[in-house]
Amino acid sequence: MKKIVGSALAAVMMFALMATGVFAESNDAMVRIVHASPDAQAVDVYVDGNAVVEGAEFKAATDYMPVPAGEHKVEIFAAGTKDNAVISQTVTVEAGKAYTAAAANTLEMIELVVAEDSMQATEGKTKVRIGHLSPDAPTVDIGLIGGDALFSGATFKAFTDYKELDPNTYDLEIRTPDGTQVLDLSGTKLEANMVYSVYAINTADKLEVLVLQDSMVMPSEMPKTGMGGASESTTDYTTGIIASVVGLGVLAFAAYRKRTAH
Amino acid sequence: MKHLWVIAIFLLGSCSAGNNSLSTNETAKQELTQIATVTTSHMINKDKNLPKETSSDPVLTGIDPERIEIPLLEVDALIDGQGLNKKGQMEVPDNGKDVGWFELGVKPGARGNAVIAGHVDDYKGPAVFFYLKKLKAGDLVHVYNKAGEKVSFKVERVVAYEKDEAPIREIFGPSRDGRLNLITCTGLYDRKSNEHEKRLVVYTKRIDS
Repeated sequence: MKKIVGSALAAVMMFALMATGVFAESNDAMVRIVHASPDAQAVDVYVDGNAVVEGAEFKAATDYMPVPAGEHKVEIFAAGTKDNAVISQTVTVEAGKAYTAAAANTLEMIELVVAEDSMQATEGKTKVRIGHLSPDAPTVDIGLIGGDALFSGATFKAFTDYKELDPNTYDLEIRTPDGTQVLDLSGTKLEANMVYSVYAINTADKLEVLVLQDSMVMPSEMPKTGMGGASESTTDYTTGIIASVVGLGVLAFAAYRKRTAH
Repeated sequence: MKHLWVIAIFLLGSCSAGNNSLSTNETAKQELTQIATVTTSHMINKDKNLPKETSSDPVLTGIDPERIEIPLLEVDALIDGQGLNKKGQMEVPDNGKDVGWFELGVKPGARGNAVIAGHVDDYKGPAVFFYLKKLKAGDLVHVYNKAGEKVSFKVERVVAYEKDEAPIREIFGPSRDGRLNLITCTGLYDRKSNEHEKRLVVYTKRIDS
């Protein structure tokens, strides 16, 4: 899969930046795209007529991409073509929020499923939710093998709420509400300070999961990585004063030479 | 159970000028089906010893970073784990020779953006990341753990941001790739606020070693 860097989308962003003079993140939403249509071939994704992803295969997910807040036209084409969109939808995104837009369902019924993703991680905890994107899979629960359900009644195209857990390696399973195991997920490692979405994808007979990071604990500011010992400074008045004193001295000397020359 | 998904408006009739887009859409789907090949052969795994196979992703394992090496700059420095201070800033070593790994984030080599920050200068002169701005796309960065295991990264781009305008989520946030971003200060040193006006970020991505 190839992401187009420096695309027209970026140009739009730059323009938005220049127009407002405000930092990009405050006006942008973050959007990532997931190919979750099991029988669809590789696709190209266009936002507002500009290619943002090329050749994304089934199960591919992009990183979050900054997109200006507002309405956007999302079009998905078979890779390498730009004639007939299999999906053409408008999606509205809000500044400062993160979204996943998944091309879901079988090709015949292909549709864009959009979810808002958490941007809030908790230090020392892990957060997780389930996105059911397997078109023909039944309503399922996700829980500990031989234990309680953590998420109940997940249906196709639905996302559960996030659940905050202690970081650990969990023996999970996807099961029908009557307890029949659909998929063994033992050894699922959920790490501290992270937020995950676990997408159940593919058809029911080939069910599998795609685990994506939604967010993580982040600083609110950049680190202070210098003490100034080898850098020029802005408000170093002493240097300026020395420079002017030296400058005056040179002028005075020049004037003196000129006078004595006569 | 909350249904967060939204069905946005299908722009039927506006896909392409002059076409009946309903049939257009059907044609496209047919094309896509015809060229579709079976890419999903296995993935269901009944063996309980290999649960990771139920996931679509190869596992990218990170390491507990002990030492960083940047051959081009002749940098070879020890790495300290660092968290957040009360202001919510990433903390950094109090000396100019070591660098700090943001240990609340991911480990270098694992999926996500790992971050290592180092000083450009100390009170007296140049510090460990003084020449970081000389890095260019393609240059290499190596990180080692205590046991000497190495994960290597390739520089993708180098960007300087005003101190308060760096894209924090892009630098510290989630990613599908194993990324490592190096941070130091750059620009003029502001003697009033006692810090540099800009931050330099070297974006790197894991390469298979």
